[in-house]
Amino acid sequence: MQRTLRLMEEGGKHLLLITVAFFILIPILWMLATSVKAPQEVFSGHLFWAEHFSLDGYLRVFRDIPFTLWAWNSSVIAGAQTLGQLVVGLAAAFAFAHYRFPGRDALFFFVLMTMMIPPQVTMVPVYMIVNELHLLNTFGGVIVPHLASGYAIFLLRQTFMTIPRELGEASVIDGCSAIGTMWHVYLRLSGTVMSALAVILFVGNWNDYHWPLLVLAEKSLQTLPVAFVQFREEESLEWVPTMAVATLSMLPILALYLAAQKQFIEGFMNSGLKG
Amino acid sequence: MVMLNRWNGKQGEAASAPGARGKAGARRRGRLHKLWLPLAFLLPALGLYAVFFVYPFLFSLSLSFQQWNLISPDKEFVGLANYVHLLHDDVFWISLRNSALYMLMTVPLAVGIGLAMALLVESLWKGKRLYRLVFFLPVVSSIGVISIVWGLMYNPQDGAVNKLLASFGIQGPNWINDPAMALWALAIVGIWKGFGYNMVLYISGLKSIDRSLYEAASIDGAGRGARLRHVTVPLLSPVTFFILVMSIISSFQVFATIQIITRGGPNNSTNVLVYQIYQEAFQFFNIGTAAASSTLLLLIVGTLTVVQLRLSNRMVHYQ
Repeated sequence: MQRTLRLMEEGGKHLLLITVAFFILIPILWMLATSVKAPQEVFSGHLFWAEHFSLDGYLRVFRDIPFTLWAWNSSVIAGAQTLGQLVVGLAAAFAFAHYRFPGRDALFFFVLMTMMIPPQVTMVPVYMIVNELHLLNTFGGVIVPHLASGYAIFLLRQTFMTIPRELGEASVIDGCSAIGTMWHVYLRLSGTVMSALAVILFVGNWNDYHWPLLVLAEKSLQTLPVAFVQFREEESLEWVPTMAVATLSMLPILALYLAAQKQFIEGFMNSGLKG
Repeated sequence: MVMLNRWNGKQGEAASAPGARGKAGARRRGRLHKLWLPLAFLLPALGLYAVFFVYPFLFSLSLSFQQWNLISPDKEFVGLANYVHLLHDDVFWISLRNSALYMLMTVPLAVGIGLAMALLVESLWKGKRLYRLVFFLPVVSSIGVISIVWGLMYNPQDGAVNKLLASFGIQGPNWINDPAMALWALAIVGIWKGFGYNMVLYISGLKSIDRSLYEAASIDGAGRGARLRHVTVPLLSPVTFFILVMSIISSFQVFATIQIITRGGPNNSTNVLVYQIYQEAFQFFNIGTAAASSTLLLLIVGTLTVVQLRLSNRMVHYQ
C-alpha cells in the first residue's frame, strides 16, 4: 500500500517534470523541425513535425552563407580566449593560494568585486582603449580585455586552497621552481576542476554577444552569433535556412555539453557557494 | 605523510636562503623574495585589470563630466550637465523603469522555478540526471542565436507561441509588437535561459544539507511541509542569497535579447538602462551622457547589492 502510494507519487512527479521539460524544449524542438521543413510547409504544417522532410535549408547554409567562416572565427576567438584566461587565472590563483603576502586578501576581494560590476559600466572606455591600441576589428580586441577572468581566478583559488600547503612547500624544498610547483603540484591535483573550468569558459566565450558586436564591424572577422544576426537582417533570410543556421550553431556547444555534462554541471555547482 | 611534509616545510624555511651572508640579510632577502614572487604570478592578471578595468572605470567617471562625440579631438568639461540632462530625459526614466520591471518580472520567477525544480528533481528515484540536463540546456545556449529563434517564436501569426496557444483555443497577444507585452516577452526568454542555473545551485545546496536534520525533525513530528519550511528553506537561505545577488546584477545587464528581438521598441517599451547606454554611445555618440548613465547604473546596482548584504545578516541562516 505504502509502496503503491510512493510509486504513484513518483509517477506524478515525472508527469509534471515531463510537462515542464516539454515547455523548456519548445524553442529547440521548433527550431529543429522548422529547419528540415519544405518552404511551403513552414507556416501551415505541424509545429514539431516536418511532413515533407527536406535538407534544402542546410544545403543553402553551405552554399549561400559563410557559415564555416563564422564558425571558424568563433572557434579561434573562444579557444584563444579560454586558453589565455586559464593561464592568467592559473598564475593568479597560484599566487593567492600558495603565498602569504601583504595585501593578498584585499587583492582577492578586488577580484571578487570585478565580478559584481556590470561590464557595461566600463564598456565605452574599454572600447576607446581598444581603439587606441589599434585592436578594433581584430581578434585581439575581442580577446585581450577579457583575459583576466574573475571567475577563473576565483574558482581556481578556491580549489587550490583545498590542496594542503605542505605539498607545495615540500616541492619547493625538493628543488622545484615556483613555476614547477604550480605546474606539478597545483595543476596536477586539480585536473577535473581545470577541465570543467575550460569547458565553462569556452562556452561563455563562444556565446558572448555584446562585446564582439562592438569590436568587430568587419564582416569577415565577426563571430557566429554577431554575423548571423546581421546577415539575417541584411539578406532577409527565410525561416528554414535561418533555423538551419541556428541549429548548426548550437551543435558544437550541444555536443560539448552532452560530452562534458558532468564537469559542466558540477563546475557550476562548485562556482557558487564556497566563497 | 602529513607529518613528514610539515617537518619538511619547517626545515625548508630555515634553509630558504642558502646564499645569504648574515641572518638579517637572509631574512630580508627572504621577505623580498616572498613579495616579489607572488607579484610576478599576479602581474598578468593585475596588469590586465589595471588597463581594462580600473583605468576605464576612472575614465568613465571623468567622461561623465565631459561632452564628447567619440570622434572629435576635443572634449569639453561640462560639470554635471550630463547628469542633469539625463534626469530631464524621458527615455532615461523609461529605461530605468523598464530595467526595474524586468528585474521584478524575471528574478522571482527564475529563482522560484529554479527552487521548485531542484526540490522536485532531487526527490526523484530515477531520472535526476536527465531532467537536470534538459533544464540546464538553455543556460548553455548562445543568447544571440536563441534570440533569433525566440524572435520568430513570437511572430503573432506563424510563431510557435501563438500557434500553441491557438491549439488550446486561446488568441495569443501581439507579443513583441505590443508595448504592453513586449517586456514580458523578453522576460520569458530571460527566465527560460536563467532558471536552470539557479536550479543547479539549489541542487548543490540541497546536497550539502545534513540528512540527520531531517531525521531529527521527523522524530519531532514534523511532516513533509514542516520539514520543507523549517529545515530545507532556512538551510538553503545562503544559496538563495547568493542567487538573488547574482540574478539582480545580471538582470540589469540584459542586452542581446533586446538588441536582437525588439531594438528597445515598440515605443521604448523594452528600452532598458544598458540598451540606453549602448544607444547613447554607439548610435548617438553622446559619450558623456552614456558615461553618466553608466555611473548611475553602477550606483543602482551597488546600492541594491549593499542593501541585500545588510538584509542578509538578518535573513540568512548558516548551518
